Amino acid sequence: MISFKHVSKIYPPNIVGVEAVNLHIGPGEFVSIVGQSGTGKSTLAKLLFAEERPTRGTIEIGGWDITHIRHHEIPLLRRQMGVVFQDFKLLPRKTVYENVSFALQVAGSAPRRIREVVPVVLGIVNLHDMFDRYPHQLSGGEQQRVAIARSLVHQPKVLVADEPTGNLDALNAREILDLLKKINEFGTTVVLVTHDRDLVNRVRRRVITLEGGKIVSDVEEGRYKL
Amino acid sequence: MILSIYRVSKFAIQNFWRNFWLSLITITMLVLTLLTVNILVVLNFVTDRAIQAVADRVEVSVYFHANASETSVQNAVTYLRSLQQVRDVATISADEALEQFAARHQDDETIMKSLEEIGTNPFGPSLIVKAHEVADFNTVLEALENPQFRDNIREKDFSNYEAIITRIKDTTDRIRTFGIVLSGIFLLIAVLIVFNTVRMGLFIHREEIGIMKLVGASNAFVRAPFLLEMVLLSVVALAVTALLLYPTLAVLEPKFGFYFGGQTVGLINYFEQNGWRLFGLQLAGLVFLTLFSTWLAMRKYLKV
Ligand SMILES: Nc1ncnc2c1ncn2[C@@H]1O[C@H](COP(=O)(O)OP(=O)(O)OP(=O)(O)O)[C@@H](O)[C@H]1O
Ligand SMILES: [Mg+2]
Repeated sequence: MISFKHVSKIYPPNIVGVEAVNLHIGPGEFVSIVGQSGTGKSTLAKLLFAEERPTRGTIEIGGWDITHIRHHEIPLLRRQMGVVFQDFKLLPRKTVYENVSFALQVAGSAPRRIREVVPVVLGIVNLHDMFDRYPHQLSGGEQQRVAIARSLVHQPKVLVADEPTGNLDALNAREILDLLKKINEFGTTVVLVTHDRDLVNRVRRRVITLEGGKIVSDVEEGRYKL
Repeated sequence: MILSIYRVSKFAIQNFWRNFWLSLITITMLVLTLLTVNILVVLNFVTDRAIQAVADRVEVSVYFHANASETSVQNAVTYLRSLQQVRDVATISADEALEQFAARHQDDETIMKSLEEIGTNPFGPSLIVKAHEVADFNTVLEALENPQFRDNIREKDFSNYEAIITRIKDTTDRIRTFGIVLSGIFLLIAVLIVFNTVRMGLFIHREEIGIMKLVGASNAFVRAPFLLEMVLLSVVALAVTALLLYPTLAVLEPKFGFYFGGQTVGLINYFEQNGWRLFGLQLAGLVFLTLFSTWLAMRKYLKV
């Protein structure tokens, strides 16, 4: 599903984001990427959804070489994957429903399809009774669930979550994790970037550890070391 | 496609209202620019009319000797008519000249008496020659120097309006230069203001734009609302200009008429007949201008 071949990202002038990363993630996998601050976890995520381009090496997603992806192709890539962030990235002046339908609108979906899809994804994240609320009327966990619902509207093959629980307490974090696992069970490949020890230990799935931009360990059913 | 147009329009109209003051300032500046351009158009039109009106009155009167033969006068007329510079030749026969003179002075007894004393018609035939342009009169005057005509001609009277015309041209040329410089300055300010409006728009919507891109909005979809908003502002500016211009012209028209001897200048008529072309051109120019500065602002501030 995802393959990195000897990928390096050097930020100008000379800052190492990631270095010589070789990585293969199969379809349906649930991979946690861990490591200390500044070790290149977010860089890896950004390379995945083409927010950054690799300095060296090649990246493929679903057989698509996105190493030199063109500007106008980036939207097509993003419509095939979901992205979730620590700060939710919801539009404050739009309701829950509008925030989710927005993702379909900008992709040119028909109103009928929007009316079908939005309640379904909001149902998946268990928010059917909060359609008309604004983000500031929701708890952090609920906001993140809206963001996850939004990431699901295109039925993505890959979901990239960069510290999705960074702003949440332990209880909410677990709920989000359960949600990601549920999504993974539907068949979506999940890449979870985190440094939450408890979370990683609960997943009991593949864990990749980064240090100084390099992969230092990659174990099936790993535990958070460090 | 239609759906995207609808959504883009919705975003554009939202931008317009949410940044109402910014929109207002932009429109004001566009209107000022358009007004100066239209003042130039009016000025051009009125000067053309003024010069034409003066030129219409320019004529050469050619007085023949009283003993000049009918054929020699006729020859002169034929010759003059053959010149392409000559617009019109009117003949006044000796009898008509006498009649006109008598009519003009019928209350003046001394003149009437002396006319009676002479007993014969002291007047000769005369011609009134009109040319197409003021400069053409030189040709006419030269032509009449031809010995064939010269001996029969008593006097040539050229009412020269050239000085007046030069003065009109000088004054309006100065106003025109000023107008062109002014509209140039306004144009530049308009570009800068549009640039800034778009920049502010991008800044205000940076979060929204970032999210749009993350969820897979195409670049065109991100950009289109800003471009459309500026087209919208241009259209509104043109409409406001037309609304301001029309009553102003209606008020001005009779005032100009005063200088043209009560005749209407046809200003409103001119705008009515050429309005579509004039405003169409202005809209095209304005849209081009605003899109250009929008494009500049996006190139600088929108990384897509
Ligand atoms: N846009 C950028 N320009 C320059 N350097 C950058 C940029 N983004 C990240 N870096 C640098 O690249 C390195 C890796 O950053 P990255 O954000 O990937 O770390 P991270 O593992 O996500 O850290 P954290 O856990 O704090 O989020 C850091 O040294 C960072 O300073
Ligand atoms: Mg990070």
